[in-house]
Amino acid sequence: MNKKRIEIVNNLSELESLVAFVQKTSDEWNLSPKLRFNLNLVLEELVTNTISYGYHDIPNQDQTINIVMVLDDGKLSITITDRAQAFNPVQKEDPSIHNKSIEEREVGGLGIYLVKQLMDEIEYKREDGQNVLVLRTELKD
Amino acid sequence: MNCEVKTIVDVTVLSLSGRLDASNSKEFEDQVVKLIDSGQKAFVANLTGLDYISSAGLRVFLLLIKKLGDKGYIHLCCLQEQVKEVFDISGFTSIFQIFDDEDSAVEA
Repeated sequence: MNKKRIEIVNNLSELESLVAFVQKTSDEWNLSPKLRFNLNLVLEELVTNTISYGYHDIPNQDQTINIVMVLDDGKLSITITDRAQAFNPVQKEDPSIHNKSIEEREVGGLGIYLVKQLMDEIEYKREDGQNVLVLRTELKD
Repeated sequence: MNCEVKTIVDVTVLSLSGRLDASNSKEFEDQVVKLIDSGQKAFVANLTGLDYISSAGLRVFLLLIKKLGDKGYIHLCCLQEQVKEVFDISGFTSIFQIFDDEDSAVEA
């Protein structure tokens, strides 16, 4: 079993460290270009969401976001943990995107939808004041 | 992310390269909105060099096509495989006209 971990602070400038983390991990684990792309996207969407909305009104807490990636037996899991406001992306309603004209399409709301589409499984729990999100995908190619 | 701008007759061609994400999407938005505000109506975005796009980048493309409305257009061309997949999942391939090469996108 392979395991990698990164802790970032609640600031959008941390996206750069996240990109470097995904790059390094993907190189070491020899992940496909498709999976690298998807990991970048999934992490960016979720972390950006937490940074943009999650820590409002709770300024004095530990404002870090923890990311653990595990590769085991052809399966990859990502666990994201933070102390931000409770937010369950699994329950977030999908944007309506089909058969919509340009005028009808709403700007935004796509991030979580993309995450759900690109991962095989997504699980959320609120535990000890923390958001714990686990995402899983298989290494298909 | 880098966005080079050139003009072919009356079409503004935007050649994007690198990553279009939450850290730079606003910069790209401002750059193109400025062109629209100065009167440009016909755009082609050549995405040959665009390795990565997230919802922040998709959002800008949707904003631009909405802003142009009936008065103009933005055609896309040369999407890399993963970028194309994200456009597909988002339902953007039915909103945007997408071409295989820049010439077709400019002439259309």
